[in-house]
Amino acid sequence: MKLSFSQLLAISCALVTSFAYASSRPRYGGTARVLLHDRVNSLDPLAEEDHPQSRDRMAALTFETLTQIDSQGRLLPRLARSWQSDPSHRVWTFRLRLADFHDASPVTAADVIASLKSANADWRYSAPDRQTVVIESSSAIHHLPEMMALEKFAVVKRGADGTVTGSGPYRLSEWQQGERALFVANEDYWGGRSYPDAIEFQMGSSLRDQLLQRQLGPYAAAELNFDGLRSLEQGGANGQNVALSRPADLLVLVFLQPDLGGRTGRARRPIDPRVRQALALSLNRTAISNVLLQRQGAPAGGLLPQWLTGYEFLLPEDQDTDAARKLAASAGAVTQALTVALAYDFSDATAKLIAERIAVDAREAGIKVQPFGENHVGTKSAQATMNADAVLLRLPLPSLEPSVALAALLPDLGLDASTATAALGAGGSEELYEVERKALEGFRVVAVAHVKQALWLNSSSHNWQQLPSGAWDLDEMWVEGAR
Amino acid sequence: MSLKVKLLLLIALSTAACVGAVAWLIEERAHEAFRQIEQERTTGLVSQFQREFTHEGEEITRAVDTIANSDAMLRTAIDLSNGGDYAGRVNDAAAYAAAQRLDFLDLMAPDGTIISSAHWPARFGYKQRWFLEPSAPRPAQAFLKHVETPQGSVLAMLCLRPVHTHGADFYLVGGRKLDAVLASLALTEGLRVSIYSAPELGPPEILGASSDSAALDKLLPLIQQARDRRTEASATIDWGAGGLQEEIVHAIPLPGYSDHVPAVLLVGNSLRKEMALEQRIRNISLLIAIIGVSVGVIVSGIITTRLSRPINRLADAAAEIGRGNWDVTVPPGSRDEIGKLAEAFNQMTRELIAQRERLVQSERVAAWRELARRLAHELKNPLFPLQITVENLLRARETTPEQFDEIFRESTATLLAEIDNLKTIIGRFSDFSKMPAPQLQAVDLDELIRGVVHLFQGQLTREPMRIHSEFELGRVPPVTGDPVLLRRVIENLVLNAIDAMPKGGTLTFRTRLDDSEGLGHLNHQAAVFEISDTGQGLTPEECQRLFTPYYTNKQHGTGLGLAIVQAVVSDHHGKIKVSSTKNLGTTFYIELPLWDAAGESNDRGTAAS
Repeated sequence: MKLSFSQLLAISCALVTSFAYASSRPRYGGTARVLLHDRVNSLDPLAEEDHPQSRDRMAALTFETLTQIDSQGRLLPRLARSWQSDPSHRVWTFRLRLADFHDASPVTAADVIASLKSANADWRYSAPDRQTVVIESSSAIHHLPEMMALEKFAVVKRGADGTVTGSGPYRLSEWQQGERALFVANEDYWGGRSYPDAIEFQMGSSLRDQLLQRQLGPYAAAELNFDGLRSLEQGGANGQNVALSRPADLLVLVFLQPDLGGRTGRARRPIDPRVRQALALSLNRTAISNVLLQRQGAPAGGLLPQWLTGYEFLLPEDQDTDAARKLAASAGAVTQALTVALAYDFSDATAKLIAERIAVDAREAGIKVQPFGENHVGTKSAQATMNADAVLLRLPLPSLEPSVALAALLPDLGLDASTATAALGAGGSEELYEVERKALEGFRVVAVAHVKQALWLNSSSHNWQQLPSGAWDLDEMWVEGAR
Repeated sequence: MSLKVKLLLLIALSTAACVGAVAWLIEERAHEAFRQIEQERTTGLVSQFQREFTHEGEEITRAVDTIANSDAMLRTAIDLSNGGDYAGRVNDAAAYAAAQRLDFLDLMAPDGTIISSAHWPARFGYKQRWFLEPSAPRPAQAFLKHVETPQGSVLAMLCLRPVHTHGADFYLVGGRKLDAVLASLALTEGLRVSIYSAPELGPPEILGASSDSAALDKLLPLIQQARDRRTEASATIDWGAGGLQEEIVHAIPLPGYSDHVPAVLLVGNSLRKEMALEQRIRNISLLIAIIGVSVGVIVSGIITTRLSRPINRLADAAAEIGRGNWDVTVPPGSRDEIGKLAEAFNQMTRELIAQRERLVQSERVAAWRELARRLAHELKNPLFPLQITVENLLRARETTPEQFDEIFRESTATLLAEIDNLKTIIGRFSDFSKMPAPQLQAVDLDELIRGVVHLFQGQLTREPMRIHSEFELGRVPPVTGDPVLLRRVIENLVLNAIDAMPKGGTLTFRTRLDDSEGLGHLNHQAAVFEISDTGQGLTPEECQRLFTPYYTNKQHGTGLGLAIVQAVVSDHHGKIKVSSTKNLGTTFYIELPLWDAAGESNDRGTAAS
């Protein structure tokens, strides 16, 4: 049989079209393998973790929150089918949908209240019926539903033996602490079975290592730090995608409370507020963002990024070495040979560079900063015992709702709860700006930069949604090569 | 000090001086030789350091040149000069430095802005201050400079190279720590090398040696001297341990990029081994000196003994002669000067003996003559009355027979009296010749004086020559003496005093202890007895002749009284002397030894007998 050119062209077009359709149509099955840079010790959203974002990435698969925010920043129902508040925004009522935990037990209002109580014991909870949860706070909370999308408010059924059970689209199948986690699709999930059969997380392995070992093939996605991103760019990202979030993560210098004792048992000395201010003024945030962060960050004057609040430009971020030098001199930092011990995350090479840059900038102002690496800088318990005057933290943006994000950030920065309450009660941008300005006023917290999160995606993975904050939405994700 | 000892000392000192001089000479030469060796070692090490320094500089220059001339660097420079983003180059320096094994590498913009720093990546964007200083032309070769790092200033050897583009030039500054140069040095035992690093900012430190602040303090003056003068300086540093930890330290300034001397090379040469060797040589020298001096002393002892023996014999012989033993001769022994001296001595002794014999002979003749004269004089006085009386008798028998009986009675009476007188004179001579030896015992001098005075009391108080007696007796302890002879002494002196005061007067008796070792040859106290009269006194000539036998100035004296007194006092190992003033009186002083109960009296008795 001989085929004409037109026939051949028609067949070719049909084949290409069918292949194109086949490659864009979601498929069930397969295992999505994901590389996480950090190691996670517990899946419990309330457990203290050095890198809670990695934990939250996995926890979101198995534990559900009452609400969720999509990649467009829209608030969507999840375990809560609907919600409403009284006019004062103090009392919120959530109606739950019918759902089951992975152990087949139904999700009830009592289960939800138990989880929420663990997360916040200051609120009052009630359950008018099996599917209704009422949350009452002492002050107005305008964005409680957005707050309920935070992973810390996920509904977790905690067993007496320490086991945790969720109701999410995936259930935990295998767990090797700090090494590996395997989640398999929950066939009985109320929202329908997810496309992949399983998602496997490999923890504590950088993309750079995998690149060197030429073992990236099996992975669907990998967290990227700046070294990894640079390596990927230098190596050429053929057939591979890099997804960047907005500059959302907060790189911040936090002066530890002086009443906390170091490892030696001695009370930590207080750092003069003028020295703290001088240090803040000495920072060349632009250089840090452009050079050390390779333009994957933005200079930060405030805790929340400009793109989220719109007012961050009002908060000062410019370097003023002369003013810093005068302030330091007035505080006697030079004459007293004051040394500020600055701890940074030992496992983060960029954090080391930034800490050293802070030391260089501070040196120009006459302040001696001594950076040193620590294994655990993010947890409160570690901060309470380390011999540091300040820590350099990288905190993910908790929420796309500014007031919720600020309220969630403040406890991690060591600021008092009243500020967080004020943030939750802020009715608009002006009020929130005022709350944030006051939070920064004492220079106990010095914002350095907002940093983008980078994600490497294999071309075989599809619909991997990354929120502007860097969080993942894997509800629609599927992988090629499945049935 | 005897001649032998003097000779011994002289020879011993001469020997010690000679041996000491030789030992000092050896030690000095050894010291000089060690210093020369030390200097050669130091010079060798400094040369080695300079070679390594130059080699390292060339290595660094080559490495920086390699980077600066590489295509990649050229592309980077062109890209940057065309407005390329500095941010993308922030890690370039680290890669270049790792490839060329450089500890430090900065990529700088034309205005000195650090684009990339291998050793301090966080320092990008800041200007390299020293690079902007318009002081000196930028060196083509490697140079010393302190590099700022997160850990502080580090002394490094750097090389500056431009990277030429069509626009402005970019610069590379790369280098290595100087520690490597130090580590590459092959040090021999006792040598150590370190570098004093003095950054323009920050405290100085010493590289390549563990040193505390105390050590640095000791070295600072030397280092400062080298830095100020910009020339090598050296000093001996004592690190303690009693000088055994001394070290010669040479400080050699190492020039840097500017006028500031960034470092000083310190070459320490421990003197411990040399000092131990010097100490050993010193000990050996000392041992040789001791042996030499000992041998010298022994030999000189033998020589001086042989030399001084005849002289000693001469001295002993002279002493014997001095003691009155004239029968001493010295054997000549040798024919040298000493032998001649001995011969002369013997000759002199013989001459002295002969002269003494002649003197004795002449004295004996003189004595006999004096005795004969005295006898003639004494006997002539009674004989003349005898002759007159006999002639009177003869003449009375012829002229006046009727009165002859009466004259005969008177004349016979006179004759008998004169004959008695002759007998008395003869008895006195007999007494003087028969002076007995003293029987020594403890004698209470005060009591003896009182007894004699009591005996003469009647004679003293006889009118009209009344003599008043006064006693100033000092209650002296008993003296050593023969009471009979001492009584005789006192009696003679009292009689002389009575004779000296025909018109009466005062006779004073005094006794006292004399602490001034008046007896000379005695080491004991003596008792002094004084008897003073207020008579007519004596002339000095009379005083000189007073104790001469048979000398008298009295009409009827024999001249033996004071001679007997002197003989008795001399037999008692005492002394007698007289002082007199004409027309005022005379005082006799007699010193007598005190009685020694511990057998002294026996010795004296024996000596006296």
